Amino acid sequence: MTPAYATFGEVEAERRVASAPLSHVSIELGHLYMEDFQAGPERLREQFRHVAPWAETMRASWRARVPGGRARVSTCFLIDDYFSRFSTPSELVPMVLEAAAECDLTIDYLARESACAEADGVKLARLVEDRLVTDPPPGTDGSRPPVTETGWLCNGARSPYGGAVQVAMGSAQGWEPPAQNAKRRHSIFVDVELWDSDSRGRTWSCPFLAAVWQLLRLGMIRNDGELPVRPTPRGPSFPASWDELPAVVQLNPAAAPFSAYTTMSVLSPRFLPVELAVRTILSQVFVDAAVLRQVADRSGGEGIPLPDELVDRISYIFLGA
Amino acid sequence: MLVMGEVRTGLLQNSGEIPESLCQGVLGLLSGERVRISRRPIVYAVSPDQLTGVDCRLASAARARVRGVGTVLSRASVTGGRVLQGSSHIQVARAEADHRLSWSHYLARPGVVEVFGKMRVPDLADGFADSGAWNDCLDLGSVSERFMDAVQASPLLDRKAPFRSARTRLRWVAVAEEPGREGPGIRFTLGRDRVRTLRLVLPDGFTPDVVDFCEDLALHDWLLTTLLVIVERARVGTATRAEVTAKLAPAVDHLLHLWMPAARLDDGFAPLWEALERRPGFSRQWQSLVARVRDQIAINTLALLREAGGW
Repeated sequence: MTPAYATFGEVEAERRVASAPLSHVSIELGHLYMEDFQAGPERLREQFRHVAPWAETMRASWRARVPGGRARVSTCFLIDDYFSRFSTPSELVPMVLEAAAECDLTIDYLARESACAEADGVKLARLVEDRLVTDPPPGTDGSRPPVTETGWLCNGARSPYGGAVQVAMGSAQGWEPPAQNAKRRHSIFVDVELWDSDSRGRTWSCPFLAAVWQLLRLGMIRNDGELPVRPTPRGPSFPASWDELPAVVQLNPAAAPFSAYTTMSVLSPRFLPVELAVRTILSQVFVDAAVLRQVADRSGGEGIPLPDELVDRISYIFLGA
Repeated sequence: MLVMGEVRTGLLQNSGEIPESLCQGVLGLLSGERVRISRRPIVYAVSPDQLTGVDCRLASAARARVRGVGTVLSRASVTGGRVLQGSSHIQVARAEADHRLSWSHYLARPGVVEVFGKMRVPDLADGFADSGAWNDCLDLGSVSERFMDAVQASPLLDRKAPFRSARTRLRWVAVAEEPGREGPGIRFTLGRDRVRTLRLVLPDGFTPDVVDFCEDLALHDWLLTTLLVIVERARVGTATRAEVTAKLAPAVDHLLHLWMPAARLDDGFAPLWEALERRPGFSRQWQSLVARVRDQIAINTLALLREAGGW
């Protein structure tokens, strides 16, 4: 069945959607938090040593899949400058690059985590939040607005309110379990905090920014039909403040495009719950149909069919120490 | 093939028509997405597509329990800076699985609702067309209404409508022509409480133009309904000429220039409009009403001239 993509018939002529250059796979070599930084460069080298063979495996598998072995593979590295600020780009970036080079890894692109919230004046996280279409529990017939808890997103129906209080007050109604909408007999209910706020404003959660990060790597975000983030070639040196570092810096001039048909991340198992939350969010993001079609046409033209569902284009390797 | 939708139409709550430049602000329901505007032959602005998730019963004429899961595709539009529409529709498809899948499966099929088990098209089509008062079944009208409300709540509107008017509802069902069944055609029914139903049998299957056609029909049905009410309220022949003219003036200011049936439609839909022009004869009735409004105003003008000039 063909979905109603071109609902806009006549006016569609005015709608231009920029297309992103696309690699076959975007490999995330690592994600640096303050605690990793504080543990010193040896921690970083250890991480890269673990990652290197897996990145090579991924590269080889795409080479085998693409005609002529001309696989477009790009690598990226994310530094957290959102939840905590540490060091400076001029001090940190060379250290990261050096550690990677020691393990024969090339980092093609370097991104700042805060760019997932806002990049070049575009509030990316807001764009994505606006595109959430919540997973409806059974009985959702459209007659009422979707049930949402501000700042939270789940994959089912939450427990009814006040169970314990009602029991205490002698009511017969006790606790009722939450339920996953797509459960197979038993539920795995997930409820994700998207953001919180205080006097300084809204702080997006780590899984929400990670969801934006995946969408950026998959080339799925547009702002008024334009690409909101374009990698900036590196300058001769790195700035002394994170705010002066572009959202995504292209470190390797010969790199394949930043965005890709698929993504792969090599992560420590401690990120497993975060990634479950990311997938819960991504399962509820309605990506622009024109962008999806663009990507599907391009990959189809190369003889590389992609899964319809975005979450199926994302893969991980969870590596213990 | 089975596609169904509901269009709600009403007056934009603003004292005058809104200029094109306000359309982006009023219809920009999704950040990062532009409102699309076409300017000929009438200004028409439409919001980005919106999705709403549903998992509920679909109305069945045989009262069977049919469960559907998927997304409703909706949009809001403003025509001539004056008439607001909320429109939602779904394509009904048979689910391949016998259980509900991950939500990402449904989001990858925008505007499709998958039903479990056997899908009997005539049963669901009849059920939806008659489902007005049924509880717990898919309610596309409320979805459309919410997007209209979101637009009406825009701080850019002054919420001072120049006259009172009611929203109309048009519920439509489109099926494909099948050998041995009804040929291509259109059936339009005026129901109670400003509910209209439209049944379409399409020779070429579903295209997005079908939605445009239904919205266009809903728009013109609303114009006609609203003008009829204005003329009725004017109490021609009972009230004084000045009173009649004052009651008819909003029609001249805000409605008469908006009548442009099939202006933006694909040529394939021209025969459907032509059929409706024969029976019930939309434009005939409209022209007759417009003539009546203008005649009343002309008579009043003559009376005023006579008083002033003494002829």
